Amino acid sequence: MSSHRLPPQPGEVIDRSTVINFTWNGQPVIGLAGDTIASALAAQGVDVFSRSMKYHRHRGIMTADHWDPNLSLQVDDEPNVRAGTRLLAEGMQVSTQNVWPSLQHDVGVLNKAVGRFLSAGFYYKTFMKPKFLWDNVYQSVLRKFAPGGRVHWKTSTHGAYDKRYAHPDVLVAGGGPAGMAAALGAAQAGASVLLVEMAPELGGHLCWGNDAERAALDKLTTAVIAEANIEVMTRSTVTGRYDHNWVAVMQGDHPLAPERLVKARVGSLVVAPGLIERPLIFSGNDIPGVMLSGAARRLINLWAVKPGQRAVVLTANAEGDAAVKDLQAAGVEVVEVVDVRTGAMVASAVGKSRLQKVVLEDGRTIEADLLVTATGWTAPTSLLNMAGNRPVYDPQAARYFPENLPEEILTSGGIAGNGSTDELIAHGSATGVLAANRSLRLRHSRRAATARSRSPEGPAPEALTDTRTPLRREAHPECYRASTHGFVDYAEDVSSKDLIQAAGEGFDSIELMKRYTTVTMGPAQGKLETVNAAAVLAESRGMDLADIGTTVWRPPFAPISLGALAGRIFEPVRRSALQDWHEAHGATALLAGQWVRPDHYGDAVAEAQNVRNGVGIIDVTPLGKIDLQGPDVAKLLELVYVNRWESLKVGRVRYGAMVAEDGVVSDDGVTGRLSENHWLMTTTSSGAGAVWEMLEDWLQTGHPEWQVHVTPVTGGLTSINVAGPHSRQLLERLVSNVDLSSDAFPYFSVRQGTVADVPDCVIWRIGFTGELSFEVHVPSGHALAVWEALLAEGQDLGCAPFGVEAQRILRLEKGHYIVGQDTDGLSKAPTAGLGGLVKLDKTDTIGLPELRAAYQREDLPILVAVQPDDPTVLPEEAAQIVDGQTATILGRVTSSRHSPTLGRSICLAQVAPQLAAPGTVITVLMADGRRIPATVQEHHAHLDHQGARQRV
Amino acid sequence: MPQHAYKYSAAKLLRHGLTRGTWPRMWRQPEFKDTYDVVIIGGGLHGLATAYYLATEHGITNVAVLDKGYLGGGGSGRNTAIVRSNYLTPEGVAFYDRSLHLYNTMADDLNLNVMFSRRGHLTLAHTDSALRTMHWRAEVNKLQGIDSSVIDPSDVKKEAPSLDVSPNTRYPILGALFHPPGGTVRHDAVVWGYARAADHHGVHLHQQTEVLDILCEGGTGPEGKGPGGKVTGVRTSRGDISAPIVVNCTAGWASLISNMAGVPLPITTHPLQAAVTEPTKVFLPTVVVSGSLHVYVSQTDRGELVFGASVDPVGTYRVNGTLEFTEELAGHVLELMPGISKMRLMRQWSGLCDMTPDYSPVMGFTPVEGYLVDVGWGTYGFKAGPVSGETMARTIATGKTDEMIAPFNLSRFTEGDLVGEKGAAAVGH
Repeated sequence: MSSHRLPPQPGEVIDRSTVINFTWNGQPVIGLAGDTIASALAAQGVDVFSRSMKYHRHRGIMTADHWDPNLSLQVDDEPNVRAGTRLLAEGMQVSTQNVWPSLQHDVGVLNKAVGRFLSAGFYYKTFMKPKFLWDNVYQSVLRKFAPGGRVHWKTSTHGAYDKRYAHPDVLVAGGGPAGMAAALGAAQAGASVLLVEMAPELGGHLCWGNDAERAALDKLTTAVIAEANIEVMTRSTVTGRYDHNWVAVMQGDHPLAPERLVKARVGSLVVAPGLIERPLIFSGNDIPGVMLSGAARRLINLWAVKPGQRAVVLTANAEGDAAVKDLQAAGVEVVEVVDVRTGAMVASAVGKSRLQKVVLEDGRTIEADLLVTATGWTAPTSLLNMAGNRPVYDPQAARYFPENLPEEILTSGGIAGNGSTDELIAHGSATGVLAANRSLRLRHSRRAATARSRSPEGPAPEALTDTRTPLRREAHPECYRASTHGFVDYAEDVSSKDLIQAAGEGFDSIELMKRYTTVTMGPAQGKLETVNAAAVLAESRGMDLADIGTTVWRPPFAPISLGALAGRIFEPVRRSALQDWHEAHGATALLAGQWVRPDHYGDAVAEAQNVRNGVGIIDVTPLGKIDLQGPDVAKLLELVYVNRWESLKVGRVRYGAMVAEDGVVSDDGVTGRLSENHWLMTTTSSGAGAVWEMLEDWLQTGHPEWQVHVTPVTGGLTSINVAGPHSRQLLERLVSNVDLSSDAFPYFSVRQGTVADVPDCVIWRIGFTGELSFEVHVPSGHALAVWEALLAEGQDLGCAPFGVEAQRILRLEKGHYIVGQDTDGLSKAPTAGLGGLVKLDKTDTIGLPELRAAYQREDLPILVAVQPDDPTVLPEEAAQIVDGQTATILGRVTSSRHSPTLGRSICLAQVAPQLAAPGTVITVLMADGRRIPATVQEHHAHLDHQGARQRV
Repeated sequence: MPQHAYKYSAAKLLRHGLTRGTWPRMWRQPEFKDTYDVVIIGGGLHGLATAYYLATEHGITNVAVLDKGYLGGGGSGRNTAIVRSNYLTPEGVAFYDRSLHLYNTMADDLNLNVMFSRRGHLTLAHTDSALRTMHWRAEVNKLQGIDSSVIDPSDVKKEAPSLDVSPNTRYPILGALFHPPGGTVRHDAVVWGYARAADHHGVHLHQQTEVLDILCEGGTGPEGKGPGGKVTGVRTSRGDISAPIVVNCTAGWASLISNMAGVPLPITTHPLQAAVTEPTKVFLPTVVVSGSLHVYVSQTDRGELVFGASVDPVGTYRVNGTLEFTEELAGHVLELMPGISKMRLMRQWSGLCDMTPDYSPVMGFTPVEGYLVDVGWGTYGFKAGPVSGETMARTIATGKTDEMIAPFNLSRFTEGDLVGEKGAAAVGH
């Protein structure tokens, strides 16, 4: 490959003393520091960078920037790298993505031969029959043609990314002359400014401009760097603008994180992204060697790369004229300047892997290896779109302009109009001053309105009126399509002919056309394509472009890596204050929802037996705990629980169940009244968050007049259940100021007292295990001391910890159901056996109308205790209960364990009502296909249904 | 397909390629008549399917489908195109299995390739309790003849090698419910297929036609609307239409449209967000769903990963999308597939879901004679589209509520008979 590197250029960004080695499709190549991947390859004479998606046409440099549809390359393990902006780095392995077996000899090019049959949406019209061929052959062939690079999913950088919050008064999107001036104007007016630029350097089009433009750039850069109020991010993109100026920035120039998501709450957003140059539609407009003027000028001026030898320049504007000068200065022979403004036009381009000739409308054919086009601009209005603004087409200027922007968004630079460098800077500066004023006024009003924030410094700044001289709208010819057809969407291989065909088939709105042809659906998301597509549609329907509308630009402005969006996810596993102790003492960890818990300490059965015969302690901290205070707590409880609460006396606890609006049991737990206006509610472990949100929701939206303060205290209180016949004896040794005797502290009571010298513990006497038991809620900082004291003092009583599995055995023996296991998303209150609890005559309870109806029904399944007739057979949980030898489902086993106390298998099951009578023999279908008989029991409790053991 | 219809085939593709001839319109631009037998509001999947089955199964062809925008511009074109039938209740299974069957034969039935991709559907379990629910669903499905089973992490890895099934992740994959018949369909093609076929059978499709009011008489409310009355037609942005039957198939706008007939619906509208990545070579062969991580993902034939989540908690008609959605989505997806962190999110969007209190649709007759609804589909209207159209058409044609949709009647909200498919449907996709 020969070198196309030019002698030193005045504005070049390359460092000729630093050579960088990398590989291109396996071959070693060199570039220079400051090169992008594309510029380095172009300097080495590379013409063809990729093959197109559908027809596998040769593709080369088109825009040489982020939006270049032909420069998506595989770099190491990263797919779809934008070679037009990605800086070259030592050792990069760069390769083409969409070829097999090689870029030169790509088999997919066969598609080109049959291209005429692959018109828009062709795949909808064939492969319908025979079906097995679609299922097994056609589909996998189609999938082989998926464009894009390869994901190396065996390597991971997940978690290597970082995030940051920022609160700039003014955020400027775009670091060209207008954006830099806006940043300076705002900073000098006292605002903090974040200036974001997509390219590696500030300056926008000044970077590849003439001497005067570079001088202006130097001045601006010096001022920006000297301004302490401006933070600059280059290689960074403002990817989204969300409600209330919540702005996402993808920072690419962070020294450590590969990419960083900066989330900014912005006072004023200044949108100054410049303009995106638009390709012209004509036959051969994708041949390598056909490029936009911006690409040619950047190649020459930034990277000192000669883009070709013999050039035709198609120009409709000053940028094209400047390209002519740049090309001539670089020693490119400009053989023809086709000036649209004089009525001349290009008809087509001819060539395969490189341009060979250009055919003009006047019939002449010119040999050339470079065709530079400068035919107009697309305003990147995405961020404005996201703020609800629909841009309006101006046919005189041949581009879209924003209109009616909200106060907190301003525009400057090319998106707002045309101007000389001085005019752009002046407009930018005034925009910055205005943005600062609006932002500082906003900040002042927010501080004044928020009682607890810092008081505002002095009076609010006077509101400035917008006295900016608007930028001109320079007249520009409307150039969208030449007399021939060509590509509209390069990434998707969609041509103007495809669009016209689609419109003729009825896909004649821009949204339908997009969906049918996939135009604008590629990685550039329409930045290059949308306006051309709309123009073709307008042409085919005989309408004005202004009346066609465009598709809606949605976030992100430029694609953003999943790793950066994810960052390091803040979803820590929750651990009780005792979890370290459990793990140090041999506990097997069980991941239960958000929590990790001790499943057992080696022998769950022994642990359960120890509770039945002596005393055990279990850490039940994940139990949701909500502190409720205020005079209206009882009203809230009446609303959310199916049973009554007004009458609960201080010092008592009560079991409560909740149902959703459809009458389905949603949560349950015990709630105690600590004092007149102070209650402690418990919920299921998994339901803790949902119940808290539900309470707040009702208080804030349903009954804002109620005085209730809700505080979730699940982690703040460590909960220890002391269970077993010796539990009272043990606790009496550690509790000094509460009488634990049965008369003074009866079943379902609550007391507050000191446990193992820890004051302010809440103790309630309840039982999930069926034994005498006390639940102690200890301030978590002291939990370990209490836990260890219980074990130490209980040594002679055989006190030992037990885990979740032992508790599951114990509760099943006792017949307590678990919401979400023994009930499900279909189980209404009657199924759970809440009959006595539900008070249908209450005035208002969530789900009450459904409950009233549910209790009229006789077809709801019933939860019953079941014992297999063969005590050694243990049905699987979820085993179905069926009608004899048929497949008719009559219920299912919801819980199943071997009971050490009874020496047999025991279950809870939901069964059809006709099977619910005690003594009914049912058929359980085992996973291995056996059908085994089991008998419905009289009570849920497999032992001690009267509760004698827990009421001692 | 009637005789005059233009049939697609490989041969036609060949002929058009050789002659470079133009293709005919997929559907006509019909004249706007002032009288139809049936007016269907909403030119999405449900409305078009209803029209198609009215015309093909029942010979009712004097039908207009009205849409204020373009065909399939609502939920039909915004969903993540997943279909399955491994539901929890026998009723749910029967309903969705019929739908899956219709999808299976749709390409041939409608003579348009809807690209049904029967690629298998994995619902991951990250907790003991989720695994228990999977076992339950599998047992129910098996007894009903649905291909569905619980597989362990090593088999999950075989189906979707990019998933991290090691035990040390934040949300370890303990197993999955595997449903081989599940998959994806090209959602837009389904809309176009029904639209084209309905058009060929005489149905009029009127786009850019907004319904401003539903005209009634004899009802207890103002202007003769409300219970006890009957429908006489609709007022549109292009003029009045008289029709004895008006069907509301407007998803996110269902409650607003229904108010026009004086029939308030217990429906709130919530956005459901989705996103898509840049294309890469295909590496994810199945649909992957994680209920506890609120994410589902599949890879299109074009190589993009399509992600969806659960509905936004706050009701609104706005479809702007949030940054937080993409952050949480990316975090959860990477917990499942840490190796794809360098893939880039290309576009996010949202659609409007019409949510009912019991996560089940509202279908059939209403207290206003001649006014029917097929709404409340929430997050799973796409899967149910074909069978909904079939049953609604049957209900309209016979004047009798089809047995399959009887549980979804509107009166259940006042008579305390909510359906509660929540256990199955709210799990998502």
